[in-house]
Amino acid sequence: MSVQRKVVIVPCSGIGKTYGTVSREAAYEIVEDLRPKDAQLVALSMLVLGDESTRAAVAGNQAITIDGCKLACASKMVKENGGRVAQEIAVLDVYRRYKQFKPNGIAELNEGGLHLAHALAEEVAISIDNLRSKNKEGQNA
Amino acid sequence: MAEFLETTIDKFIFKVATDRSYSSEGLWVKAEGDRLRVGLSDFLQQRSGDVAFAEVKPEGTLLKMGDEIASIESIKVNISLTSPVSGTIVKVNPAMTTTPESINQDPYGEGWLVILEDGNVTKAALLDPQAYLALMKGQAEQEAKNQ
Repeated sequence: MSVQRKVVIVPCSGIGKTYGTVSREAAYEIVEDLRPKDAQLVALSMLVLGDESTRAAVAGNQAITIDGCKLACASKMVKENGGRVAQEIAVLDVYRRYKQFKPNGIAELNEGGLHLAHALAEEVAISIDNLRSKNKEGQNA
Repeated sequence: MAEFLETTIDKFIFKVATDRSYSSEGLWVKAEGDRLRVGLSDFLQQRSGDVAFAEVKPEGTLLKMGDEIASIESIKVNISLTSPVSGTIVKVNPAMTTTPESINQDPYGEGWLVILEDGNVTKAALLDPQAYLALMKGQAEQEAKNQ
């Protein structure tokens, strides 16, 4: 029997912040559309509240964090809860690579924000694939 | 090595380097021989937020005081920055293209914007560090009240 654990995706929980919304939109797209079998969404707020099942998910799986600002709450909270951050992503760094997708809006992103979220989601999907193939190699070795 | 004046407002610490002058907008000017180096104050960079892009006027641009010297896009705002002095841009900081976040990381050092030659500083238009500290402190306290 081989067990492949899902990669945990932890986006920013910044409500009322455009970059936080981009991070969450990207996270939804990853777990709902791009890699539903390989990725699991963890709400940062549940981690902050100390929810046991959320802490267990983070402690037992590799995580990709998506932070909306330099406070990097998602990355910090995962580490504080014993998680292993396989990749830290900052929305701003992604935006620097996709200057044409200027995000705006909070509850609803503008077109640029949706495109940016999609670009970010695709980058994370590739990271998930890389992590999983590394894990497979590790199991076969 | 620059020394700093410092003030704390709410949870934020703002530094003002003592070896240069400031515009009321928050740009600093430092004389280096016959050249002038220009950049953003710590308060202006913190108030603006994380910088995504900085577009600086190209080398060779002749600036009058009040002309746009650069525009900055951050996670919070788009700002057009006006030159606190006149002169010709002889060097643009290459980091503005590759790592504009250096404005946030090191506003008085690596995060400078341009170097000007044939500069003309209108002393009356610039503030010394103590005067700028008092001005920015007032602005910061007002912002803290509004939040």
